[in-house]
Amino acid sequence: MFFHIVLERNMQLHPRHFGRNLRENLVAKLMKDVEGTCSGQHGFVVAITGIENIGKGLIRDGTGFVTFPVKYQCVVFRPFKGEILEAVVTMVNKMGFFAEAGPVQIFVSNHLIPDDMEFQSGDMPNYTTSDGSVKIQKDSEVRLKIIGTRVDATEIFCIGTIKDDFLGVINDPATA
Amino acid sequence: MSIEPFNKLVKLVGRAFYDDITKGDNQPKTGRSDNRGIAVVVLDALSRRQWVREEDLAKDLKLHSKQLRRTLRFFEEEKLVTRDHRRETAKGAKMHNAAVAATIDGLPAKEGEEKVKMHTHSYCCLDYAQISDVVRYRVQRMKKKLKDELEDKNTVQEYVCPNCGKRYNALDALQLVSMEDEYFHCESCNGELVAESDKLASQEVGDGDDNARRRRREKLKDLLQKMEAQLKPIYDQLNRVKDLPAPEFGGLQAWEARASAAKRAENGESNGMDPSKSSHGLGYGGTPMPFLGDTKVEVDFSGVEGKGKDIKSEADGAGLKVLPPWMIKQGMNLTKEQRGEVKQEAKMDGSGSLAAPEYSEDKKFNTENNDKNLQDEYLKAYYAALIKRQEEEEAKKALESSETRVSDGPSGMSPSRQVGMKSKRDEDEGDDNVDWEEAPITGNEENFKVNDLNVEADATAEAEAEDEDDIDWEEG
Repeated sequence: MFFHIVLERNMQLHPRHFGRNLRENLVAKLMKDVEGTCSGQHGFVVAITGIENIGKGLIRDGTGFVTFPVKYQCVVFRPFKGEILEAVVTMVNKMGFFAEAGPVQIFVSNHLIPDDMEFQSGDMPNYTTSDGSVKIQKDSEVRLKIIGTRVDATEIFCIGTIKDDFLGVINDPATA
Repeated sequence: MSIEPFNKLVKLVGRAFYDDITKGDNQPKTGRSDNRGIAVVVLDALSRRQWVREEDLAKDLKLHSKQLRRTLRFFEEEKLVTRDHRRETAKGAKMHNAAVAATIDGLPAKEGEEKVKMHTHSYCCLDYAQISDVVRYRVQRMKKKLKDELEDKNTVQEYVCPNCGKRYNALDALQLVSMEDEYFHCESCNGELVAESDKLASQEVGDGDDNARRRRREKLKDLLQKMEAQLKPIYDQLNRVKDLPAPEFGGLQAWEARASAAKRAENGESNGMDPSKSSHGLGYGGTPMPFLGDTKVEVDFSGVEGKGKDIKSEADGAGLKVLPPWMIKQGMNLTKEQRGEVKQEAKMDGSGSLAAPEYSEDKKFNTENNDKNLQDEYLKAYYAALIKRQEEEEAKKALESSETRVSDGPSGMSPSRQVGMKSKRDEDEGDDNVDWEEAPITGNEENFKVNDLNVEADATAEAEAEDEDDIDWEEG
C-alpha cells in the first residue's frame, strides 16, 4: 500500500556546496540518500514529492560540515499481509518462484501454487497447467496475495500465494 | 440453572476426545497404570457430583487414588476440572462431607476419621463454563487446521535441513536460494533443504509430486467430512448449551458454605439456627469457612429486621442492626433502645394492627437472646415513660417544626435541639432551664439523640437520659 507522508532527516552538507545553490544541493543529496531505501517502520521510500521545511544549519566542530534538519514529503510503499499485488516473476525453481513488485521481493512456494500447475524444468523453468494454457516463467506478470511479511529494520520480504480466486498470471510474455 | 445439558456435553466430550487417552505414555502399560477409558468414567462420575474430595471419589470409583489424581491432573491441564487443595483437620473434612450430603443424597456422609492431624485434601469439581469454552475452542481449532491444510491457506511452508536439522520457513527463501541449482540450501552446512511436512495427511508424501498431492487432498477432505459427521452431537450440544447460563459452583469454600446453608434451610431451621450456627462456626476457628457462614447470618438478620421495622431507615439504626447476636450482651442497651423506638413509632402511628406484629417480632428476637428478659422488662418500663414524653415532643415538633426552625435559627443551635427546648419551655419554663444547667454538655447531646430516635446513646448517655427522664416523668 502506498502512503504519502512527511518524514524528517538530518542532512550533513559539505562546505563546498555552500553558496547560491545550497538549497538545491541539499535537496539533490536528500533524494540521492533517501529514495529507494527501506525502513521497517514506513516501508520503501519511492519518491520525494516536496520539501516541507529546512531548519537552521548547525556547523559541526572540526569538520565544517553543516547539519540541516529537513522535513520532506514522500511516497512510501509498505506491503501488508492480505494485500493483493501485481508482480513480475524473477526466478522460477522447484521450490516455487520469486517475484518483484517494485522494490519488494516476494516468494511463492510451490504449495501455494494451484495444484493443477506442474513444475517443468529446463533452460526456462516454469510452472504450467496440464493443458499448457497457463504458464508461469521468468518475466511473467502475476497477481498474488501476500500472506506473510518479514519486516526487518532495513528490509521487507514477503511470501505470497496465487492459490486463490482471481490470482495468477495476468500477462504471459510468451503470448504477448 | 439446569445442569443436565452441560452434563450431557461433558459425557459426549469425554467419549469423543478422552476415550483413548493414556496419561503417561512413557510408562510401560502395566495393569495399574493403564488409564484407558478411565477418563470417561471419571468425567461421568464428576458430572454426577459437585465438589468432591478426591479420596472419596477414588473410593467410589474403586480406583487407586494415585491413578485418579493423575487423571484429574490431566483434566486440570485440559481445563475441564477445577481443583482445590486445602490443609485441614478431620473435622474440616467432616464438614465437607456434611455439605456433600446436603447436595447429593446418594453419598453418605462419612463421619469416620477422628484424627486431629492436618492433612492436605484435594477437591475437584467440573468447571462447566470453562468446559463449554474449551470444547468450542478445541472443535474450532480442529476444523480450522483441517480446512487450512485443505486449502493450503495462510500456511508458511517450512523447510528443514536433513543434515543438521536446522529449520527455515518460506520467509527465509531469499537467503536460501542458491545460484548453482534450483533447490534451497542450508546456510550452515549447505545441505539441500526439504520441504517440511508435519501436516496431518502429508506424511507419506516425500517428493510432493502432483499425484500425491491430489491424494492428500482427497484424504483431507475425507477426514474433514468424517470429523463433521462424528462431532455432530457435540456441535448440537454446544449450540444448545451456548445460551444457557453455566452452572456455577464457585470456589470450594463458597460452595461448602452455600451447601450447608441450604441443608439447614431444608431442615426448617431458619433464624433460630443462626446463633447456634455462628457458634458452630466459631468452633472451627482455623478454617475460614465460618466467616462465610457468619456473613450469611448477618444478611438474614438484617433482612428480618428490615421486614419488621421498615420504618426505621437511619444509618445508625442499620449500624445497630448488623450487630451479631452474641454481641448483644454488651451493647444490649442499644438494641433495647431500638425496641423502644419501635414501640414509640407504633404508638405514634396509632395503628395497632401494624404495630403489634412489629412488637411481637421484636419480642421473638428477645426470646432468642433470652437471658436478657429481666433487663428488658425494666427497660420496657423505662421506655414506656420515655416514649410518652417523646410522643408529646414529636407532636409538638410536628406542629411547630417550620416556625421554630426559622425563628430559632440565629441562636445557632441545631433545630432538633431547639425543638426539644421549645417543647420543654412550653411544658414548663423553669424546669427546662434547670435541665440545661444540670447537664450543659451531655444533656444537650442527649436531648438531640432522643429527638433523633435514640440513635447511639451509650451507657453514660443512658444514665443521663434516665435522670432527665425522671424529672420529666415526675412532671407528667
